[in-house]
Amino acid sequence: MEQKKGYCFTAIIGQEDMKTALILNVINPRLGGVLIQGEKGTAKSTAVRALAELLPLRNQAKSCRFNCDPEDEAHLCTECLAKRQSGETPAVVQAPMQVVDLPVSATEDRVVGTLDIEHAIKTGEKKFESGILARANRNILYVDEVNLLDDHVVDVLLDSAAMGVNTVEREGVSFTHPADFILVGTMNPEEGDLRPQLIDRFGLSVTVTGERGVESRVKVLQERLKYEEHSEEFFQEYEPLQQELRERIIQAKECLKDVTYSQEILELIAKICIKLDVDGHRADIVMLKTAITLAAYNQRSQVKREDVLTAAQLALPHRMRRKPFEEASFDLSMIKDIV
Amino acid sequence: MSMKKSIFPFTAVLGQENIKNALLWNLVNPAIGGVLIAGEKGTAKSTLVRGMAVLAKNKKIVELPLNITEDRLVGAIDFHQAMTGGENVLDPGILKEAHGNILYVDEVNLLSDYIVDVLLETSGTKQNIVEREGISCAHESDFILIGSMNQEEGQLRSQFLDRFGLYVEAEGEKEISLRVEIMERRLAFESDPLAFIEKYQKDADALSVKIEKACHFLPQVEITRENLLFAAYLSSQANCIGHRGELAVIETARAIAALDNRKNIEPEDIVEASGYALPHRMKQFTLDLDSQSDAPDNQTDDSGAPSSNQEQEEAQEEKDAGQKPEKASGKQPEHSGQDKKNQRQETDQSGQTEAKEKQTPKKDPAKKQNFQNFDGQFSTGLAPLNGCDLNQPSSSGDWEEANDFPTDDSQREASAFGRDELVAPGEFFHISQWQEAIYKKALAKSSGRRRNAISGNQQGRYVRYRLAGEEKVSDLAFDATLRAASPFQRFRDKRNRAIAIEKSDMRLKIREKRSGGCILFVVDASSSMNANERMREVKAAILSLLNVSYQKRDRVGMIAFRKGKAELLLGFTGSVELAQKKLEELPTGGTTPLSAGLDLAYEVTMALLTREPDARPTIVLVSDGKATSRKHINDTPFDEALEAAERIGKQKINTIVLDIAESTVKSHPCVKLNEKLGGALLTMEKLRAEGIVEAVSRYQK
Repeated sequence: MEQKKGYCFTAIIGQEDMKTALILNVINPRLGGVLIQGEKGTAKSTAVRALAELLPLRNQAKSCRFNCDPEDEAHLCTECLAKRQSGETPAVVQAPMQVVDLPVSATEDRVVGTLDIEHAIKTGEKKFESGILARANRNILYVDEVNLLDDHVVDVLLDSAAMGVNTVEREGVSFTHPADFILVGTMNPEEGDLRPQLIDRFGLSVTVTGERGVESRVKVLQERLKYEEHSEEFFQEYEPLQQELRERIIQAKECLKDVTYSQEILELIAKICIKLDVDGHRADIVMLKTAITLAAYNQRSQVKREDVLTAAQLALPHRMRRKPFEEASFDLSMIKDIV
Repeated sequence: MSMKKSIFPFTAVLGQENIKNALLWNLVNPAIGGVLIAGEKGTAKSTLVRGMAVLAKNKKIVELPLNITEDRLVGAIDFHQAMTGGENVLDPGILKEAHGNILYVDEVNLLSDYIVDVLLETSGTKQNIVEREGISCAHESDFILIGSMNQEEGQLRSQFLDRFGLYVEAEGEKEISLRVEIMERRLAFESDPLAFIEKYQKDADALSVKIEKACHFLPQVEITRENLLFAAYLSSQANCIGHRGELAVIETARAIAALDNRKNIEPEDIVEASGYALPHRMKQFTLDLDSQSDAPDNQTDDSGAPSSNQEQEEAQEEKDAGQKPEKASGKQPEHSGQDKKNQRQETDQSGQTEAKEKQTPKKDPAKKQNFQNFDGQFSTGLAPLNGCDLNQPSSSGDWEEANDFPTDDSQREASAFGRDELVAPGEFFHISQWQEAIYKKALAKSSGRRRNAISGNQQGRYVRYRLAGEEKVSDLAFDATLRAASPFQRFRDKRNRAIAIEKSDMRLKIREKRSGGCILFVVDASSSMNANERMREVKAAILSLLNVSYQKRDRVGMIAFRKGKAELLLGFTGSVELAQKKLEELPTGGTTPLSAGLDLAYEVTMALLTREPDARPTIVLVSDGKATSRKHINDTPFDEALEAAERIGKQKINTIVLDIAESTVKSHPCVKLNEKLGGALLTMEKLRAEGIVEAVSRYQK
């Protein structure tokens, strides 16, 4: 059966926060992903899957199972490194970034990789069979219903998300490979909490709610019906918008490294984080990166205060020190005051 | 290794001097025994550890990932060799690689229980003995153990805690200029890691030289008798468990002196060292402050005795089996030898503690005061450990403020009979240790530890294997099967296959699942709960229990009974928040249909057990036990309740009766109910902050 092409990202109505957070992550993979929280039927999964259509091309070693960037010496896998050291120039292909699914039912061995059974039976030799984390290297790792993930899988995710490296010591095999992924998770908070340590691994977080206005609800329905019944038309209609966004992303990626920020911006970020008493320093760093990426997305070469404000909205809510049994209190007005 | 190249340099990390010190001292003097770094997220814990590898010239960092299986830890037969060469040799595991190096476990509190057991054994004997899969060998395994963890995800076993020489806590910087600098460095690193590392190479080289010098100088540092006395004094004042504390203090002080190029150890060195080496060993510290146990304690001691005896017997039985894991693991998973071994070690541990307690001389209160003022660092290090970890209200000021729920005077006055009321919860209780203790006891009854249960179905983490025996083979541990088959390949008819596997080779996976418990609160919401602000306190107590569940990732459910019927307010859910909301919205008033509440609890719990035979449910009955409403005319309300309690007592369900009527006389309804339920009985009295300590000590014995 031919798989139907996914929904268009640009056809999603409303949910601006979510869309911005996702696009920012595509522009700057170092933001650390996004956690999307919200009720059922708020286009969470649709948006993540639609993102695939927008992902830009990048260089990767042709035969590498970890999609290594041959230019990035610091993050090569052992195989590519060996090639490099032996003086071999690897074949490079251009391929788009991908959305790699991590199903909630995934077992630990499928996630981290394990002993290649077939190879062992045939040859009596040990070989590492890579798992989902290997495919996720330099890609987006998408976990739907991330709060329902098995505890053990969360543990291994934490392990590798921290350093961008997956170390496997199981079932007779010992292997280490880069696993630097953008973690994107969606969840419905009513179905259970997410562990604090894992929450912190998400760079940004957004909460989505269904569109409330009748007008926009009708529009949502119309577009969905058009997609289901007249998909040709639907795609034709949105292609220009899609293309526009793709180009904007590529441009933003290019000017990302040229974005500058003043000392004042840095102090502002530090001030906000101290005021809100967040854990550790990850929040500061993510906020700064988000503000830079926002500036690039808006085709500016200087980070403005308003970028910091938006960045705070995306990077802080899930990092507030939340005492159990208290609603996470995120006071936007307080940040506005500081800004 | 390519990955090393992209590690943020140690010398570029700002602040976190505690962690840096602890790591450096360990490099200078491995006899310190490692370090445990606890701290909030994003405080460069693992960055520093990974960064230190560059500083140590003759040591490398061996990482122990959470996904590790037993064979990779201790080593296993090299099956390729066995098949081709026909020789049985060891394919060494991490423990071999770690010898003379640094063994690093990130998120160490999430490590599987079995792996922790192996680590405990190895770090104790400094030897790894492999007696399995036709291999019999032993090799040295002496390593610096470094762990990092975030306490929000749970605590370490006290025994494991004790293996770490030093303990440090990490916290974010609070100064704007520092935070700014941290951001800048991080971004500079990310934009060009290699150049960034290059920039700090000089500092790193200088530090490496300093470490190397100190290593050479170390043997020249003299330890005087005064030094020893002082260390022992500090350690005993801190009421530390065992003698590892003062040893670590001395070794650390040596490293400090060596880094300083001094031959003598100054008292300041020892004071500084004890701020790192003692805090995590001070667990018993508060226990001594309180008076000895009282009557109700003894009562529960009695009821607890038979089960713990039995446990020890069982443990003894398994001792022999434990030495031959192959055999022991052939049994049903819940009776596996290793599992019992865990329990055995735990009993050993508590025995040790007790003995130590007896040894410790009675303290002069004045001296204690003295000690507490001794060093500011000390008391900060102590705070999260002596009480009940993170959620200890007294450890943070704003916490208490946050829980200071408003109480409306008009609400209090309205506590007339039969009227519905909504009472806000009172202040939180110190509860986590108590809770932990309860579980330890409750599980002795139902076998299996709470945190890492052996999972019967194919869920959970594969850590080790067992013989298939006559069982139908499912969930095959392929690697183990292959290894088991390998030595026989020379003799078997392979019929053109690379390997021939027979039924006797089959090994199955043993999986551990860190399942939280399932706790069902059965709450009395009748009008009698309104007396004396009782409900306020009860809500606070339940919230405190929920608070613990939140950390342990328990599932919680809630039943309330009032006005002639019981109602399931909340089915088992992972969302503790939801439970809290339901509790806060819970009105009180009306009669007490205790039997209905218990019956419903029985049904809900049994339904859970049908669905998930592995679930270990606990029913927590919160009531004064005074039943006033019944289902059938024939019985008295209380007899009916007793019957319902008996029905629950016959099942494999843990129970806790939280008696809110403050009475401990034998004839009290709650005492009677508890007899039928066969679980633990607690009073509000004990739950109060001052009572907790006793409750803890009672259950630890």
